[in-house]
Amino acid sequence: MTYLNRAKKWLLGTFLVYAVLVSTNLGEFWPFSIYPMFSQAGNPWVRAVVRDVSDAEAVAISWEPASRDELLGAPFAVEPTGINQNDVANFVSKSRDWTPRRTEALRKLFHTNLAERTLLIYRVTGELGENRSISVRYEPYIVMTPDTTILHPEVTP
Amino acid sequence: MMQKVMHMLFQPDRVETRGEILFFRIFEVVMVGWALWFGWEWGRYIPNIADVVLPLGIARFVDISFMFDHNLSIVNAGLMTAAALVGFFRLHRSGYLMLALFFHLQYVSRYSLGEISHGSNVVGLTAVALGLAYVAFREEKHSRRFALGVIIFFLGLGYTTAAMSKLIASGPLWVDGGHMWMWIQERTVDVFSKSGVVNINSFQQLVLDQYPLATAILTFGLLTELVGVLIWSPRFRPWVMTLLIAMHVGIFMSMQINFPANNAILFLLAYPWADVIDRVLGSSAPG
Repeated sequence: MTYLNRAKKWLLGTFLVYAVLVSTNLGEFWPFSIYPMFSQAGNPWVRAVVRDVSDAEAVAISWEPASRDELLGAPFAVEPTGINQNDVANFVSKSRDWTPRRTEALRKLFHTNLAERTLLIYRVTGELGENRSISVRYEPYIVMTPDTTILHPEVTP
Repeated sequence: MMQKVMHMLFQPDRVETRGEILFFRIFEVVMVGWALWFGWEWGRYIPNIADVVLPLGIARFVDISFMFDHNLSIVNAGLMTAAALVGFFRLHRSGYLMLALFFHLQYVSRYSLGEISHGSNVVGLTAVALGLAYVAFREEKHSRRFALGVIIFFLGLGYTTAAMSKLIASGPLWVDGGHMWMWIQERTVDVFSKSGVVNINSFQQLVLDQYPLATAILTFGLLTELVGVLIWSPRFRPWVMTLLIAMHVGIFMSMQINFPANNAILFLLAYPWADVIDRVLGSSAPG
C-alpha cells in the first residue's frame, strides 16, 4: 500500500473514532472536540466568589442576596492560594445534591486555608434582560468555618 | 476532491528537506514539552480533588476517583514523561501513543470538577497524532508528514465545528453584541474571584460602551472560525491561521481568556519555517 493510501486509511479510521466519540459524549471526548463552549449565547451563567468573613460575627452572616458593593467580609483571592476559580464555580453551579462527600471535597479544595479562617462562598448569577441590560446577583451560598460547613437553607444536603 | 485534500494534507510528492526534519524536531520539543508541563501541573493539583462533579471522557465509564489518592497523579505524570522520552528518542514506536493515553487519564482526573480546559485540546491532539503516526508508519518521513497532516486536519475541523455549533445552538444572532457583554461580565466575576479585585481593562470598557464594536468582534470571530477548514490548503493556511491568531488575541483582550497553546501551534504551523531553516542552513538538500 502506498504512503498516501495508508495515510488516507488511518485518517478515515481516526475520523470515524472522533465522530463516534464526540457524537455520544456531548461533543467532547478529550482531546477530540467540536468545541461547543460559547455556542449558547445569552444564556444565564453561574460563577462563584469567595470572601473572608473571619471577622464577621456568625449572626451577622445573612443569606440575603446582595450587590457587589454590599458583599460581606474581605476579598479572598483564590489564585494566590493555588485554587482554580473555575473549580469553585463548578462546585456551586454543577452540584445538585450536597452529600457529605461533596461537602468534604469542597473543604479539601481549600485545605489549609480553612485552618484559621471562615470563608463565605457567594453564588453569582448573571442574566441578560430587556434592552441588553445585564443583572448580576450575589447570593450567599456556603459558609465554611475551621470545623463546620453551613449550606444555604434552600440547598439540598 | 478527497484525493486533493489528502494531497494537500500529507504532501506525498514533496521532497523532504533538512529544514523540515529540523522543524519537526523543534515542533516535537514544544508540543511534547507542553504536554509534560500540563501533566506535572495537573499531577500536583489532582491530590486536592476528592469527588467527581462532572465525569469526562473515559471517566464517564470508569470511576477515576482512584486517581485522587496515593499520589497516583504524580505517578501518571512520571509515566507521561517516560512515554514522551521513549517517543522522542524513538526507543519504541508506541511511545507517543502511550503518552496520549496517560495524558487522557490525567486530563479526566484534573477536570473531574467540571471545567473544560480550552488550551489543552490542541496539545492532546498533537500527542494523539504523533502516537498514530509512529504506530502506522515505519519510515520517519512518512510519520512526520502524517502527524502534521492529522493535526492540521483536526485543527481546521475543530474551528469550523465550533462555528457550526454556535450557528446551530444560537442562530445567526449569536453575533449580537449583548452576548459579548454577558461574557465580559462573566469573566469579570472570574477575575474578581481569582484576584479579589474587579478589573475591567480599557478595551473591555470600550466594548461595553460600543455595541456595534461588540457585534463586529463576534462577527469576525464567527466568520474566522467558519473558514477554519481552509487551513487544509497550504495556499490559504498562513492567512487563515493568522486570522485565527488575531481572533485569539481579540478574545484575550475582550474576555481575558488566554489561548497560549492554540497560538503556539498556529504560529508554528502557519508559516514556512522549514524553508527559513533551509535558507539559514544554505541548502534545501534532502535530509
